[in-house]
Amino acid sequence: MNLFINFFATLILILFIGIGTNLNATAVLEDTTTYVYVKIEVKGLSCPFCAYGLEKKLKEIEGTTDVEIDIKEGLAMFRIAKDKQPEKEQLRKAVKDAGFTPEAVTISTTPFKIDKDDK
Amino acid sequence: MSITLLSFIFEMQEVKAQGPPIFTDTPIMLGLEGRGIRTFGRYINKENVSIYLQPIAIPYNLTAKWQVGTIVPFAAVSPQGGDSRFGLADIKVFTKYQLVQKDGKGKTFRSLIKIAEAFPTGNTKKSPPIGADVYQTSIGLVNGYVTTLYGIYTEVAYNIVFDGRPDNLIYNIGLGVPLLPQNYPPKQINVFLEFTGNYLPDNKSNHLFIAPGIQWINGKRFLLETGIQLPLVEEVSEGVKTNFIYTLGTRILLF
Repeated sequence: MNLFINFFATLILILFIGIGTNLNATAVLEDTTTYVYVKIEVKGLSCPFCAYGLEKKLKEIEGTTDVEIDIKEGLAMFRIAKDKQPEKEQLRKAVKDAGFTPEAVTISTTPFKIDKDDK
Repeated sequence: MSITLLSFIFEMQEVKAQGPPIFTDTPIMLGLEGRGIRTFGRYINKENVSIYLQPIAIPYNLTAKWQVGTIVPFAAVSPQGGDSRFGLADIKVFTKYQLVQKDGKGKTFRSLIKIAEAFPTGNTKKSPPIGADVYQTSIGLVNGYVTTLYGIYTEVAYNIVFDGRPDNLIYNIGLGVPLLPQNYPPKQINVFLEFTGNYLPDNKSNHLFIAPGIQWINGKRFLLETGIQLPLVEEVSEGVKTNFIYTLGTRILLF
């Protein structure tokens, strides 16, 4: 009986350790693949067809993914691998090269929300 | 039909590398380093001749403010009661330089200078001619105020026609209104009302067309547009008056 109890206790312990290890592994995974989120206020965005040039310029920055552009609010948002985080000046230059005027550049560890109400 | 009269039609035909208005030029130069192409079919129906034009326009942005480009047009000319001809018409090169850019949230005002040179590459040795048979240099100013609710575009250009032929002053104005919310990726239907004009100071003759049009955009890289130009004022000889000019075109961003 004791042997049976010991077996189950060990099994439960292993299970907990396993879950714990897995949680730790997840946490490590999140740490190693952390992105930073970038929001740029862009002036002059008045035509959706013209915004393609902006998307292309931003995607030329190494590590940039998930570019979203909000024409109504004049915002460009995307995420970029933390280890490839560019200087704000580089981001402004990309916007200028696309033919628009950059304003505030915000870099955050949490994603920005885009208003999809009218989409 | 005389070569001069037909050549004159080619002198009057303006071809643009980019919209968004259909007939008036735009001061917004897409920051795409030229990886775009625009082509359209333009059917000109006159009292004594029909012309089909198919220009291919390729712009290239040297910088965000400076664009160069070329327009390679093909034309089919069918005079009434005469033989039809098809071939390369007059090739044009152009450059645009942005002079003013005032950007705001969801709006922009831009102004640019445009210089274009047309070469008499169209064969005019045989009748009917497929070109103006003369060098032409034009210099103009293109302005636009574009918001997410509407766009106003104006264009004024003076076209110098060599070999003693009359110069012409081009004056266009366009108003565009989007019918759908301005989102990205684009899904748009835009309607335009444009007035396209041409004044010949030497002859003191004026040509003014009203040009309604519609544009459909579905996706980031493809646009379809159509419009018709109807004469309001056309001070030309009887027999060469325009019935209508119909345009159906597309713009594709290649990469």
